[in-house]
Amino acid sequence: MITLKEALELDSQALQELRNDLKKKIKANKELNAYVGLEEAGEGVPIAIKDNIQVKDWSVTCASNILQGYKAPYNATVIEKMHQAGLGAYGRTNMDEFAMGSTTESSCYGKTLNPCDYERVPGGSSGGSAAAVAGGIAIAALGSDTGGSIRQPAAYCGVVGMKPTYGRVSRYGLGAYASSLDQIGPITQNVEDAAILYDIISGSDPKDSTNAQRDDKVVPNLDPNRKLTIGIVPSYVEEASEDVKKAYGKTVEVLKKMGHTIKEVSLLDAKYDISAYYITATAEATTNLARYDGIRYGNRAPAQNIKELYINTRSEGFGDEVKRRILLGNFVLSSGYYDAYYVKAQKVRHLIKEEYEKVFSEVDLILSPVAPSVAPKFGELATPMQMYLSDMYTISVNLAGLPALSLPVARNDEGLPIGLQLIAKPYDEQTLFDGALGLEAAL
Amino acid sequence: MQIDDQLLTRLETLSMIRIDERKREEIIEELSEFLNFADNLKELDTSGVDDKFAMDDAPTSLREDIPSCNTEISESILKNAPQSDEDFFIVPKIIE
Repeated sequence: MITLKEALELDSQALQELRNDLKKKIKANKELNAYVGLEEAGEGVPIAIKDNIQVKDWSVTCASNILQGYKAPYNATVIEKMHQAGLGAYGRTNMDEFAMGSTTESSCYGKTLNPCDYERVPGGSSGGSAAAVAGGIAIAALGSDTGGSIRQPAAYCGVVGMKPTYGRVSRYGLGAYASSLDQIGPITQNVEDAAILYDIISGSDPKDSTNAQRDDKVVPNLDPNRKLTIGIVPSYVEEASEDVKKAYGKTVEVLKKMGHTIKEVSLLDAKYDISAYYITATAEATTNLARYDGIRYGNRAPAQNIKELYINTRSEGFGDEVKRRILLGNFVLSSGYYDAYYVKAQKVRHLIKEEYEKVFSEVDLILSPVAPSVAPKFGELATPMQMYLSDMYTISVNLAGLPALSLPVARNDEGLPIGLQLIAKPYDEQTLFDGALGLEAAL
Repeated sequence: MQIDDQLLTRLETLSMIRIDERKREEIIEELSEFLNFADNLKELDTSGVDDKFAMDDAPTSLREDIPSCNTEISESILKNAPQSDEDFFIVPKIIE
């Protein structure tokens, strides 16, 4: 597939041919189930859009039954920015319902397959976006990352996925899951494309009060030759599979050869990240998903009275994982448990952020695994707890609001991709992309 | 922390969600498993740590107080709502 950089050079006739060709390819690869709709909006280079980003008049459903029938009444700010830059929204990609999951199995449209091995998960929640790019049926895509939902599927499918600093990209028009953690970001074929798409969608937006109102761009200053100090986290890597450990070791050697300085650092035990993350995310999800009541959006279940309407609509409309997280969120917010769980998790978030600040006073970037293993087979993560534990490497980045980029660095003996992530300090996307671009070229 | 049937019932009420009889046991077990795990936060000393978290300590930026209203959005929502009439959502009778 043509890269985003190349596609941006095409004239309108070539773009039309590209779009026609793309449509044929998507239809020929229907069994991947990467797309759940083939709507188009705007002219220009077609970009696949995760099913939780509002595109005006599209049926944007967060892969949930509860939103069937809903039509987005406006464009998300990222879509407006794409249109202004000559990109068009092209197709809705599959995801875990309301972005809650690591496999796309909780989607009401069924699972997406991993293009590298159809028996394996593409990762999630932005599994459709990652599979579309990896499967050669999207030039690039947008995903959203609340606890790894861009980086983990990118790693499982062998593509580049980038999560911006919290506040860099406007969340206006993103179906909210956990508002203090969510960020929209690019999933692309290479690092330079990720930088191009990141530059286009990032920047100030008065419609999002948590937006950082910063408009500096990375592409004009990209420098793959910068020599950096890169932190490695041996205690983290210990818990990963042999495949991932091997890839990590090899990558560290490459970084050394490139002239970077490698420095051992330590971070808080990831078990605390998992607790703080799932308490925070479910609490926020409970609040955000309270709006789905059958009155204003999407589906309404038959009922005799208003209370029954709420309960029937939500019980029939939400899937099991979403229900589990709403219940958990209401537990951690409820009287008697609020201090012990929710407030405690917010305090721990400070500790996690401070730990990163300490590390970033010594290094420019951190190299970390993205997931403990290559993409698991469908059904391998049998319980919710196993799924939560598999998020151990990605969630602290969201809790601390940092930018990070997942880059394919190797393949295991079975040919399955392994991704590692570089993590930078807040708003230092420049160093993140510089480091990733250099590493990508050296691999 | 162990969730029991009574607590699950309370959470269902708070959540406006009904859990099927055949799934109750499974849900109780899954929620309890996570909460038992999450009790590891007690191992961390957080005395003196701020109990509120914001990503950025900078205050929210201010804008001019200019009223704006894009009625196209509300019209579209009303048009696509499950049941609506002119400017109203239709709901079952609320007052007996």
